Amino acid sequence: MAMSHRYCRNYAPVDVAKGICHRSKELISADDDSCGSFEKMHRCMHCRNYRADESKPRLGVCGASPNGFAAYEDMVAVTCQSFESVE
Amino acid sequence: MGKKLRDILEEAGLSGGISAGHHADEGTDRELKREPGWRAKKLRDLYYQTLSSADNEFTYWYTRKYFELDGEIPVVRRACALREAFSHLTPVIFPDELIVMNKSAYYRGSFPMPWLSEGFYMAREDEFYQEALKRGSTSVDEHSRFGEGGGNVTKSFGKVVSLAGKFGMRSEEVPALLSMARLWHNRSVDDLGHKYEQMVPEYEIKEKIMRNVICMFDSGYTLPQGREVINYYYPLQYGFQGLIDKAEKRKAEVAGKADGDGLAGTNRLYNYHAVVEVLKGIQQWILNYAKEASRLASAESDPRQKREYEEISAGLEWIASKPPRTFREAVQMCWTIHIAVLNEDAISGLSPGRLGQVLYPFFERDMKRGAITREEALELLECQRVKFTCIDCFASMGVVGGVLSGNTFNNLSLGGLDRDGRPACNELEMLILEAGITCASPQPTLSLLYDEKLPEEFLLKAVDCVKIGTGYPAFMNNRVAMEFVMNHYGPEGMTTQEARSWAVGGCLETSPGAWMPLTLDGKTCWIPGGAGQPTSVGVHFVSLPKILELVLFDGVDRRTGERVFEPHGLSLGSYEELFQAFRDYFSKAVEVLALCNNIQHDVWRKNNMAVFNSLLKPDCLEKGHLINEMGYRYNATYNVETTGTINLVNSLAAMKKLVYQDRTISLDELKEALCANFGFKTAAEVNSYSLDDQEKRDGEEKYDRIHFLCLTAPKYGNGDSFADDILKEWEEWFCPSCHDYESLFAKPMYGCQISVSTHGAMGAVTIATADGRLHGTTFADGSVSAYPGTDRKGPYTLFSSATVWDHSMSQNSQMNMKVHPAAIQGIEGSRKMLELTRAYMRQGGFHIQYNVVDSRTLREAQADPDAHRELMVRVAGFTQYWVEIGKPIQDEVIVRTEYQEV
Repeated sequence: MAMSHRYCRNYAPVDVAKGICHRSKELISADDDSCGSFEKMHRCMHCRNYRADESKPRLGVCGASPNGFAAYEDMVAVTCQSFESVE
Repeated sequence: MGKKLRDILEEAGLSGGISAGHHADEGTDRELKREPGWRAKKLRDLYYQTLSSADNEFTYWYTRKYFELDGEIPVVRRACALREAFSHLTPVIFPDELIVMNKSAYYRGSFPMPWLSEGFYMAREDEFYQEALKRGSTSVDEHSRFGEGGGNVTKSFGKVVSLAGKFGMRSEEVPALLSMARLWHNRSVDDLGHKYEQMVPEYEIKEKIMRNVICMFDSGYTLPQGREVINYYYPLQYGFQGLIDKAEKRKAEVAGKADGDGLAGTNRLYNYHAVVEVLKGIQQWILNYAKEASRLASAESDPRQKREYEEISAGLEWIASKPPRTFREAVQMCWTIHIAVLNEDAISGLSPGRLGQVLYPFFERDMKRGAITREEALELLECQRVKFTCIDCFASMGVVGGVLSGNTFNNLSLGGLDRDGRPACNELEMLILEAGITCASPQPTLSLLYDEKLPEEFLLKAVDCVKIGTGYPAFMNNRVAMEFVMNHYGPEGMTTQEARSWAVGGCLETSPGAWMPLTLDGKTCWIPGGAGQPTSVGVHFVSLPKILELVLFDGVDRRTGERVFEPHGLSLGSYEELFQAFRDYFSKAVEVLALCNNIQHDVWRKNNMAVFNSLLKPDCLEKGHLINEMGYRYNATYNVETTGTINLVNSLAAMKKLVYQDRTISLDELKEALCANFGFKTAAEVNSYSLDDQEKRDGEEKYDRIHFLCLTAPKYGNGDSFADDILKEWEEWFCPSCHDYESLFAKPMYGCQISVSTHGAMGAVTIATADGRLHGTTFADGSVSAYPGTDRKGPYTLFSSATVWDHSMSQNSQMNMKVHPAAIQGIEGSRKMLELTRAYMRQGGFHIQYNVVDSRTLREAQADPDAHRELMVRVAGFTQYWVEIGKPIQDEVIVRTEYQEV
């Protein structure tokens, strides 16, 4: 299944519903399917340190935090020093 | 449908119209229309399509670090949390930007700060929200309205959830927000403040005041800072690394030393350490953007865009550590500083101050050496306008909607005098005005500090800017403000020379400043900047007509039926007794509100003190004390704000005349008529909030005579001493009485008289008033604007009425005037407008602002908002897009008296 634009590194989020594609310079919908130029934007859900909490949708724990602090899968992780890609 | 008031008045031979002077037969558009350059136009067009958006990044990283550091010294704990948050913000740069960096990842982004308050954005069914409602924290939310258009996300859609009636958040992020908000329960300033304010002996009165919207909001946990002037000096002079080095040096000098201050002397070590932590976070934030610009450059195929990304990256790399080398870098640095302060706390009204004078040395140098052209500078200033317009403030609906109308009040001041008493305007300020004309946008709004010494060319340029219809610049009286500043801050060392550095914080809050020595190429330039704490915190918007209602009904709110004050038990047999009872209830309200607010702000300063904003302000870095320990040069900044002055004055005038002097009607008859809304439907039933749109209930004629008498009783604004003397008497009691209340910094408070948008929400909860105003309709705007349609003798007579009291007794006064575009056409029209302004300033008026618009245009825009996305109007101290203003304020602006001749 194709990821939507908002998960792409080329996507600059203008607001919660749309953004600008750095490749095409066009305004695109956040939730439309991405194109062939897709480059994954790292988020907590892509990190080895993230452990999903089965009982709480979209929430989990950051294994890299000192006290196992809560985390959420959707958060962008490009500035996180502890990010380790699951791939 | 019942008969409308305007028709009833016309039948009775009274003009229910809203204009004064000769009518223009046709709808008249504004005379001047200009467009920005391609770049700013593109970026501004993008803004028009942008939704107000919130995310969790700052919130998450702040919360995570804060809880990790349990047990740490509070100021260090907060600073480390701020560092963590700044360091982790995702850098996002949009194509064609010259000035970069945003509050959050979004173009018009913001984020919740649950450490201040966490109840208001919960679902209405949530226990937190219900709890807030009970204590009065969210009562005003229930009576506030956002505009349905523009970027406001008033309803959830698709994968977007509407928060607090304005902000959109991705549904993927909402569970995390709620989870974090629960962590702050009983730890936020709101909750802790509430815990301790209940220990004030008469706390119950405060809760009733808030629940009945007699006071608009608590500032301690909603907007703890703002309505102040920022100071950009230290980073411009020393660079961020230079400031870190200074703080490190001072840490070594003060470690373990009290230096004669047994209470707070040793705190200096922790404060300097906190300063270092926050500055490192901001450096990292800038460097993350530099890295992102570099990444974008490497992937960019368009040579122009690639070069611009490379320039952005290089510029950011430099200013992350060092003072700016160019005008462009100085503009970028000031923007970065500005949004860094806005990210540190929930703030509205963080004014750039006299930015054109701050940046002038850089501009002058670049122009002399040919490093920039006038056109390039104008393009930068246009881009700067778009960036400022993108600022959003995340707070409750009652605050952002009911008070601010979604505005953020980044007020840029122009003109005034320099350190030596000469006109301070310069070529860059002319360009700032030009950018305000070409790139019309709400932010930064402009204020001209009017002084007789300012050159005609500069003043006429300002008038040209007003004529485009954006409502800026407003004109503030330099001499009146200097008098206020000298009087109020004299005990803290204010001198005449320093008083000249004042500027407007927020919409029209007079704020103290300081002159700072910027050195450039060995030359010293004295630049102005803010030197005071937030100048509009404390008792926020006491509704004067509502207090009068409580007096008439012996302490009971007639809308809710709740008893607010103990019965006064007076017969109100004389006007003097009535007025005394009014002053007593007003004083009781302010007394209890001031005490509770002191506690809230005290909780704020203990756990949520400003670190970054503090280090910018003289003399925190020198003293080693931040805002919470009175490190600022001026700390006597707490105030008592009021709304509805003119409705109060007109109501008192009507009662004095009809009940006590002529005895035409009895007090009981009047009270009965007020309760019956003079036989009319309420504004909510009619769904219009202006007086002349109100509809009569069918067959209800019992109160017609009384209503007629009330409407035709003496009114303020007509040079009639019967009404004007009441204003004078009120002001001469109110202004000095504010000094009787002490802020948490042990300083006397002062009066602040602006309405912002509170005249809408507070009018909505107030029953009919003795001036003939009907239930739920808005109050008169400002504090010396006439009630719509009641000023019938022209602007010069209105000015005479407004200046019967000394405006320098108050932090401000507010006069809003609507002028038909036809009245000021051409250069002759410009000169008329300047003369009009001069006349008011010469009589001692503090402030005047103009809405240059045909009311027919506004009615069309209300009917078809989609076709008017770009239309802006001046409300009360700020300019806002029409479509983002709630209906009550739209209605009020439409019916303001429209001057067709000046």
